[in-house]
Amino acid sequence: MEKEFEHAHQLVDHLFRHESGKLIAVLTRILGTDNIMTAEDVVQEAMTEAVNQWAYKGVPENPAGWLYHVAKFKALNFLRKQRAMLKYSSSVVFQQTMEQVAEPTHEEFFSDTHIADDQLRMMFTCCHPSISADSQIALTLKTLCGFSISEISRAFLTSEDNINKRLVRARSIIRENRVDFEVPEGNNLINRLNAVLETIYLLFSEGYNASFGGDSIRYELCREAIRLTQLIADHPQIKQKSEVWALLALMLLNASRFKARQNNDTELISLEKQDRTLWNSEYIRQGIAYLDRSIEDDQVSKYQILATISAHHCTAKSGQETDWESVLALYETLLQLEQSPIVLLNKAVAVSKVHGINQGLNELKALRFDPLLSNYPHYYSTLAELSCLQPNYQEAIAYFEKAISLSHNEKEKKHLKIRLLHCRSVF
Amino acid sequence: MKEFMLFVKTEGDHLAGLSPQEQQNHVTQIGNYIGKLVKEGKLKGAQPLEISGVLVQGNKGVFKDGPYSESKEVIVGYFHVLANNLSEAVEIAKANPLFQVAKGSIEVRPIKTMEEIN
Repeated sequence: MEKEFEHAHQLVDHLFRHESGKLIAVLTRILGTDNIMTAEDVVQEAMTEAVNQWAYKGVPENPAGWLYHVAKFKALNFLRKQRAMLKYSSSVVFQQTMEQVAEPTHEEFFSDTHIADDQLRMMFTCCHPSISADSQIALTLKTLCGFSISEISRAFLTSEDNINKRLVRARSIIRENRVDFEVPEGNNLINRLNAVLETIYLLFSEGYNASFGGDSIRYELCREAIRLTQLIADHPQIKQKSEVWALLALMLLNASRFKARQNNDTELISLEKQDRTLWNSEYIRQGIAYLDRSIEDDQVSKYQILATISAHHCTAKSGQETDWESVLALYETLLQLEQSPIVLLNKAVAVSKVHGINQGLNELKALRFDPLLSNYPHYYSTLAELSCLQPNYQEAIAYFEKAISLSHNEKEKKHLKIRLLHCRSVF
Repeated sequence: MKEFMLFVKTEGDHLAGLSPQEQQNHVTQIGNYIGKLVKEGKLKGAQPLEISGVLVQGNKGVFKDGPYSESKEVIVGYFHVLANNLSEAVEIAKANPLFQVAKGSIEVRPIKTMEEIN
């Protein structure tokens, strides 16, 4: 009896989430992309069955193996039922799959290499260009990361109904377009990989930008984005890894500051005022190591430049000691690759550090008709902060008020209101 | 120490709605719960039961053939535990992590021993 229960305390962090992601990928390969929903249901059932057992027997020595075992048999049952319905089906592939899975010695479907292959395939399927970005992220989180609908809706501050709609849409697009469960080849691979990395970066940014270190669910989004990129980086089928490493570097370097961005009163702390001892030095070390690797093949990417900028911040002893001239030069290079208003906004901040507040403010004000920035609270709060430094408190107050009126994030609003009060008190 | 049977009863598939993260938390709690009972030497045995089975009903050698009406709550498992008294056994039952994630009931029944029969 004792022996049976002795593993009760050895549960791997996120076992269920990550094993669920692996199993859904493997089962989607067996059942086909038009049966993603069934794969999800089968895995959910296997998990429930496991919990039911373990509630009495304790956690087994190899919980993952146990889950695979149950999921495999549940998938087999599903296939048998399907076959009974399609008795005269001529689908050779289907018959072969059936025989392969049914063969008890054919365990390779669940071997580590096959699981890694299937997870990669799943990423390309979820991030298929025919699916909208919103739905790509929702489906990735649901299938690969084992997030529940309610968790996804909390992370994106939207209703469960809304997330469910996105999932339904994504699955039906995959069915209608007969999206293959394959990693593309040749030139196609480069384009599709870009799309996958883009989605992962979006996922990371959702977690990073809107959260300000608040809800733990948002930190999880960042961790998952890093984990998925790591899976790609570790996979032998992806040969050109420069951009993958650069993205990994960027996310690790940014994530290193995650927990220093707010104090106990859940008040936001700007980069310059953060306690740098709270930064995760292990993430910084890993981030810089990946950045070094990404430089090896002389390819310049957006992620690489952003990661280098982040590395400058991570390695500076203080806000003042940051190498702003290099940061400014990097933003200028980035603008050659991508003319984005957000980059222009960040560049203007660097300009203010290198060439003085007035010049930075002038560059910022020149952007005021940009359709994106003119509704972006961070644009006005940046204007406000620079106006404070000038100091022109009257303008700063107006900009803070505008930023507050545009912000939808309670923590951000609170932070801006504190800054506004400060301005009023010195004005 | 006295022996008790704790019969766990739930309605339907009571854990079906848990997300992977909730399952993880639940299993961690289960691990702690069972681990503690084992460490204190209070767990004699425990088994989950299949939800369906057969009810044998008889009266003086005459068996009633099914179908029997399934009550909404069914026994889904049992714990065979040792406790000093009924109230301690009740505490063990209340500590079952099941109650934190789902609706259910546990029937606590002391096992009859020779001395009580005598």
